[in-house]
Formats: sequence, C-alpha cells, structure tokens
Amino acid sequence: MLPQITPAAPGDRTRPARQGPQRGQARAAVLYLLPTAVILLALLAYPIYQLVVISFYDYGQPQAAGAAPLVFLGFDNYVTLLGDPQFWDVLGATVVFAAVCVVGSLLVGTALAVLATRASPLPRMLLFLAALGAWATPAMAGSYVWLFLFDQDFGIVNEVLGLEGHSWTFERFSAFGLVAAEVVWCSFPFVMVTMYAGIKAIAPEVLEAAALDGATATRTATAVILPILRPLLMIATIQSIIWDFKVFTQIYVMTNGGGVAGQNLVLNVFAYQKAFAGEQYGLGAAIGVVMTVLLLSITGLYVRTQRRAG
Amino acid sequence: MKTRVADVACVVIALVVAFPLYWMVLSALKPAGEIRAADPRPWTLAPTLDSFRRVLAVEDFGLYFLNSLVVAAAVVALSLVVSFLAAVALTRFRFRGRTVLLVMLLVAQMVPVEALTIPLFFLVRSFGDVVPAIGLNELGSLVLVHLAFSLPFAIWMLRGFVAAVPAELEEAASIDGASRFRFTWQVLFPLVAPGLVAASVLSFIHAWNDFLFAKTFLISGTDNRTLPLGLLVFFKPEEQDWGAIMAGATLMTVPVLVFFVAVQRHLVSGLGGAVKG
Amino acid sequence: MLRRAIAAAAIIATATACAPPQADTSGDGGDRTTGQLKVWLFQETSNGPKEGVVDQAVAEFEAAHDDVTVDVEYLPVDGRASRFNGAFNDPDSAPDVAEFGNTDLAGYVASNGFADLTGDLEQWADAGDLVPEVLDTAKIDGRTYGVPWFTGTRALYYRTDVFTELGLEPPATLAELTTTARAIRAAKPDLYGIAVGGKYLFALLPYIWANGGDIARRDGDAWSATIDSAEARAGLAQYAELLRPDICPPAQCAQLTGSQSVAAFAGGKAAMTIGGDFNRAAVDAGAVKDDYAVVPLPGTAPGEIAPAFAGGNLLGVFGSSERRTLAWEFVQLLGGKEYQRKMYAAMGTMPTFADVQDEIATDDPFLAPFIETVQAGTRFVPATPAWTQIDAQSVLPTAVQQVATGQQDVDTATSAAAAEMDAAFAGS
Repeated sequence: MLPQITPAAPGDRTRPARQGPQRGQARAAVLYLLPTAVILLALLAYPIYQLVVISFYDYGQPQAAGAAPLVFLGFDNYVTLLGDPQFWDVLGATVVFAAVCVVGSLLVGTALAVLATRASPLPRMLLFLAALGAWATPAMAGSYVWLFLFDQDFGIVNEVLGLEGHSWTFERFSAFGLVAAEVVWCSFPFVMVTMYAGIKAIAPEVLEAAALDGATATRTATAVILPILRPLLMIATIQSIIWDFKVFTQIYVMTNGGGVAGQNLVLNVFAYQKAFAGEQYGLGAAIGVVMTVLLLSITGLYVRTQRRAG
Repeated sequence: MKTRVADVACVVIALVVAFPLYWMVLSALKPAGEIRAADPRPWTLAPTLDSFRRVLAVEDFGLYFLNSLVVAAAVVALSLVVSFLAAVALTRFRFRGRTVLLVMLLVAQMVPVEALTIPLFFLVRSFGDVVPAIGLNELGSLVLVHLAFSLPFAIWMLRGFVAAVPAELEEAASIDGASRFRFTWQVLFPLVAPGLVAASVLSFIHAWNDFLFAKTFLISGTDNRTLPLGLLVFFKPEEQDWGAIMAGATLMTVPVLVFFVAVQRHLVSGLGGAVKG
Repeated sequence: MLRRAIAAAAIIATATACAPPQADTSGDGGDRTTGQLKVWLFQETSNGPKEGVVDQAVAEFEAAHDDVTVDVEYLPVDGRASRFNGAFNDPDSAPDVAEFGNTDLAGYVASNGFADLTGDLEQWADAGDLVPEVLDTAKIDGRTYGVPWFTGTRALYYRTDVFTELGLEPPATLAELTTTARAIRAAKPDLYGIAVGGKYLFALLPYIWANGGDIARRDGDAWSATIDSAEARAGLAQYAELLRPDICPPAQCAQLTGSQSVAAFAGGKAAMTIGGDFNRAAVDAGAVKDDYAVVPLPGTAPGEIAPAFAGGNLLGVFGSSERRTLAWEFVQLLGGKEYQRKMYAAMGTMPTFADVQDEIATDDPFLAPFIETVQAGTRFVPATPAWTQIDAQSVLPTAVQQVATGQQDVDTATSAAAAEMDAAFAGS
C-alpha cells in the first residue's frame, strides 16, 4: 500500500479563477467524477447501506433463501455483540495485534529506508528487489510459506534453532507473534520505499545547512528530517492502521481459523466465523459496522493527536 | 554510518527478506521425500518438477490462470482511467463538497469487504437480470467489484501526483489554445504515469489475490473459475502435501512478481518525483 | 413542488429498499423431461475411481432417456457452504441433484433447499432395505430429503507390531484404552499412545455416548444442551485425558482434526487412532500398511461397543429443480444398490442397504468391525439448523481444547459450551 504525500500541493492553492471558467469547472468536475460516482455508489455505498440495514434484522441463510420471514430486531444484534465477553477479548487482541504490526512496519521500513540512502546503488537495488518480492507475494501464498518455514516437524527454523517438534502456533502470543512477523514482512516494503523517496526528496541544501550548523547525524535525523517527513509518516501510519486492523487471510491461514479455542481471533476473522461459518448474517453485519466505526474513531483520534502535536 | 557497512547490511537484510520466497520455490522443486525429511536442507540436489506437475494437472488450470489474468487486467485498465479522472476532478477543479468527498473516500477504505459479500451477492444477481455479462457466475461481476474496491485508494494515491503538476503548465497550455480535454490526456496523463503505475500495481494485486468474491459469485459452471479457487484443493495443510502447496503458492506469486519487477523502476522514481512537489 | 416530489420519491425508495435482500423463489420448480440435468458431487482426494463409476451411471441414464444429458461437477468439500448457499440464494445457479453430508441436512432444509422425497421413497421397493438408523439421518421432522448414498463409521485402528512387541491386547473398555495408550508411550516415547485431536468431534462423541450422556436433548420442538450433565462431563473428561503429554501432547494434538489424526497414525507416529472405514486407503498408503488391525471402539464396560457417529453422504433433489422426475430417477440410479456396490468396489465406501452390507461383509473381513459397530447402534448430531452454527463455531472442540490445555476445568468448559449451544438452539 503506497501512501502518498503532498507537502504543498500547488493545485490546492490556485489563484481565484475567473467567473466563466469556474462554471465550466463545476460541469467538467461532474463529468470527470461521474464514472467514479456511479461505480462507488452502486457497488460500495449501497451495499454498505444494506449492511447497516441487515444488522438490524435477524437475518440468516434461511431468510436469505426466502424460506423464512424477516424479523426486525432493532439494536438487538448490537446488544448481543457488545454483551459478549468474547467480542471484547477479540477486540483487545485486535487492537494490540494491529498496533504491533503498524509499529513494526513503520520502524523496519523507516530504518531500512535510512539504510538504503547510505548504501551504494547495487546493494540498495538488491534490498529493494527483495522487498518488492515480499510485497508482491499474495497474502495466502506468504502465509503458507511462513507456516511451512515454522512447521513443527518439517520447518527449517526449528531445525536451525535445534527445537524438535516445537509448535509456534500453539501458544497464544507465539502464534500472534508469528503472524505479526509475516505481516510486517509483507508491509514494510511500502513504508520503506515511500520514506526512501521522501528522504531523497529533501533538498540537499537543507541537510547541508544542518551539517554546517554542526548537527550530528542523529540530531539531523530527529530535528530536521523527521519534521519534514511527518506528513508522509502520518499518511503511512493511517493506511497501515486501516489495513492491519482488518487483517484476515494471514490470521485465518496461519492460526487455522483462530487458534486453539479461538485464542488468536481478530475482529475480521471473528466476524467471518459468526457471519459465514455460523450463517448469522445479521450479527456478522453488526460486527462489520462496529469495526468500521472503530476504525474511524481510531483514525480520527490519531489525526487529532498529530494535529495537536503541531 | 560508513557506506561499506551500509552496503553489507543491505545485502544481508536483502537475503533475509528474500529467504521465504527462496524457500517457497525451493520446496516446490524438492522431491517429496526431502520435503518431509527430519532435517530439511536449504538446497536440493535432486530438483524435480513433480509438485508443479501435480498442481498443473488440475483440470483446466490454464483456463483458471487466464481467467484470473483477464479479471486483473480489466480491473487495472478501468481503474487507471476512472481513478485518473476522479483525481483530476478532485485536485484541479474547485467545487463545493470536495473535502467531504475526499474524506468519504478514506472512510470507504475502512469497511471490511468480507462483510459486504451478501449484499453484493444479491446486487450482482440483480445486475445479471439486466446485463448478463456482469451478473452472477460471470467474470464481469468480479471486475466490477474489484474496481469498486480499489478505486478509493487509487484516487487517494493519484491525488498527490496530479496536484504536483504546476498550475502554470495548464495555463500555458490553454494560452497555446489547447482545450482542457487535450491538456488532461496529452499532458497531464503522461506526467502522472508513475503514480498510475503505483495505483495499477495495487489494483492488480487486489484482483489477482481475490478468493472470497470468486467463491461467492461463481456458483455454477467451471468455465469462469479463477486461480485461487482452482488451487483450493491443494491448500490443505492437514494433508501436509507441502510440495504441492508451495508449487501452488509459487504459481500464484510469479505473475505479480513479474509485474512488480517490470514496473519497479517507475515506482521508485515516480515517488521521488512526486514528493518534490 | 418539484423538491417535495423528489423528497417523496427518496423516502419511498429508502423505505422499499429498507429490508435485507431475499431470494425470489416464486418461479421455482418444474418437471421438464428433456434437457440438461445438473449434478453436483464431492471431489475426493483421489477422484479417479469415483469418476469412473459416475461416468457409467451417466452413460446408462443418458441411454435410457432421450434428449437428456447429464452434467456432473465435482466440488471441493471445504468450499461447499458458499456453493450450496449461493445455489439456495440464486435458484438459477442451482443444480438438480446434489451429494451432501448428512450433518448439513438440517441447515439446507431450513433454507428449503431440498425436495421432500418421502412419497418417492414409499414407492421405491428397494427403499425398504435401507438401514433404518442410517435412513434416519436423512430425515427432518419425519420427512425424508435424501437417499443415503454411503455411510461411514469409525472404529479403533491399532498397530499390531507395537502391541505384539509390548505384549498388549486391544483394549476392552475405554478406561483400558487410556492405560494402554499411556503404557505404549511410556515404553516408546516417540509414539503417541493414540492419535486423536481437540478438533476430532467424531471421536469425542462416542466417548460421551458410551458414558451414557448426550450433547443435546429434544423436548417437543425445542432442543436443549445436555453437555453439562454428569455423564456427558465424564465422557468429555475421559476423552480430554488422552490429550495429555503422556499420551498425545496438547502442543501437537490439541489442533488435530480427524484426518490429521489418521494421517499421524498412517505416518507411523501413533500406536492407535480412531479412524473410519473410509480412511482405509489413507492408512494403506502410509508407512504402517501391513502392521495394523481394526477393532470396534469399546464402551465403558467389557463387551460393549461405544455408539459410533453415523456419518455419510446423501443424494438429494434440489427444491428449485426444473426436472424433478428426471432428477429423482437419477438419484434412484446412482444411489441404488447396483451403483452403491460399484462405489464400494471403487472407493471402499460402505453401502447403506442392509442386504448389500451383509454381502460385502462376507467378502471383505476389513469391514467386519465397522459393520459390527453400525449394527450395534449408531447415533447422530442434533437434527436442527442450529447445529450448523454450533459446529461452525467449534463449540465442542473449544471445550475439549480448554480442558486439554488446562485453561479451564471440565465443569467450566462444559457449562460454557452448554450456554453457547442453548443460545444457538434458542435463536433457530
């Protein structure tokens, strides 16, 4: 996922336009936006609206097949959900898991970006190619590879570390850690590439000025580079939060659907189990709505704290 | 940090990062006996295409592969055009509600798409009554759905690139007598090519990897199955046929890798250029 | 004026769209006598032999009916839920005939997915030879929705070489099974005493049943969970005892499913396992192929056999089928005695007609312990749609795993399971 920065987008600060072109602008805007609007309204907005509607009903497979009548429940699905202790447990686990993944990807990605700026072209190219490979691997393929690497009987990690038959997916934290490692592995590349581009784009004069002022490498990094890259970091973080909060495939594949006694469930997998495996689409829809609201709150909170921090 | 140390570190880390991929391909080429050995080795002296043969022997494998490719290519092509137009509208035109739209696009990315399968199922079914090509059991439905899911992010991405093109360029063009339409397609489009590449890469991944919607929309008939569905029969770790699983994973990864490597130069250079804005 | 009209239109649109979508089943059903008959069957790991038998049936059927072709599609078992639900929600995509598991029946019937075949079966002479308890697994509320195509039960596989070496006899009671397994692992630490798993529901159920308990009980129309009764708790505790480091360590065994347990046995990692007659091919293909034998899983007292779960697949006619008579005739053909015999010869699956069972038992001693188990009396899971939910949410495996890993004691785990099951029963 490639975040994009625009430190100062010239298009946003255009001079006041003349009257004629402005009306033409609105019309052209509508025309240009029409395909997007049609597609998104039909295929995203409407289903989301239906999702909310479904969450207010007792809606299962018999109802969907037209074999049973619809029963309006009001907020009952939400009450059931919020009263379920497992939901809160899974929510907590999801927040912590996502936080670890986000922080991990940002740290690894940024550190490697800095490393890449200091290296010669060929090693840098090798690093980028390897990273792109990690990023290109489909989530399902990557999950199975990591599962095999850490397999308790046939995995090479156990052989190298001398652990016979040790299961990495049995313990709760161990399983979460393994999945987090895979997620960081396939997420850090875009952080790395973006931060690298960001660092490279800093005008050399700025860095020279800092060096002339006698700043050490670390001080340059924290006091000069970081503030300039802050908008970039912010967008990278938001996108990472959105994506890592919704992780599904890796957890599902690597913990065999949620781990021993469901101890490795995250919200998206939990919703899938309830909605699809359990065929309780109404409850599943409620979970989906709650997830979206949660993400919105978390992202909003993050943006506000960043704004306040300057 | 000295360059030499950085060089060595880069190479070492590159090897570590690439190792899982190496292991994937290696295991796909190992004979069954070596895969299930008590002491697996990071090499094999007896590479065999047996695992690949078993996976490729899946009936209609070539067809599934082609179907996945067709869907992904269609999504990329359409998403490029549509998201470019939208990004231009949102960046270079001034109108009310622009910020609201931008925020809505961000929010649209927050919805867990797995939750939308049932509403979309019935919606696509209704589409099929009117336009059969985009109804259930047709690849067109997958194209539409993935287009919709990759648009918000693509538009967000392109916004920055489009905005980075100076307004003066457009004014100069209009002074020269070029219509807005010409400017948009003949000047702006090529200028934001790197951004388009990045956006297209993500749309491709999204469509190529999809398993859930293919599973939900393609119910009867085997002609339109996509690759992940075809490989499902192998992805059963309980059978512990790791050779076949790794072969399947390799086959799924190779096209994406090829795509990435082909465009990686534009990817990095494009980001560098855009940031200079 | 215009604005008000638009507002009104918007409100009407919202109101009419303000309900979850449902499939339109008004145009369903029909009885055409020509055209293409669509059939869905399950894809087995080695599907060749099955395809051979089915192709024969197709050829015979097409020869006997003019202008009729049969199109067979093989589905992977794992993805069947979305295929079947999709077919129920979009009747245009549905097949005419399908193979499905008997545990899925209740959920499918709740979606009006399959046609009521009670009348058709009454007119079919051969139907009288179907084993009654097996036929029961095809019934919901007294109406029959499918023809049992094959049945599968489980028994105790054990390693004859290990037993001979250690001077052991096959266990005569479940308690003896535990001590035997422990003794084997003590003597041979690299073997599991018995390979069973936390997710192996159909190995857990016989333990509960043998101890006199059950997982649920039916009172009139309502079901209630009985997994927290003393007997059921004893059974679950006895099963969880097997998932201990001295028999089958939880780190390896808590997550095992049925096929994984059998795979472990076939690979030579365990001295015993609970396996089905349908697992024969897998075990014969493994390292232990000449060194194993099978006995019925014992009960709690000597001479008793633990009631086994009557698994199996049914052949049914889709409710939305437009060729009902043709579909039923095909089911009669493929599910009839002749083709069940052929399927047994090709795949080793146990037929569901009592006379055919007896025939093959005399020819094949391998099946003897399984047939003995079947005829000693089999049981089934609650025949209600809520079972799909309970099964999907792994309520019982979770309880076993909690106990096996020591996270919860038996009472707490079973009480929690009972509460979840009751919630599911109440919601259905």
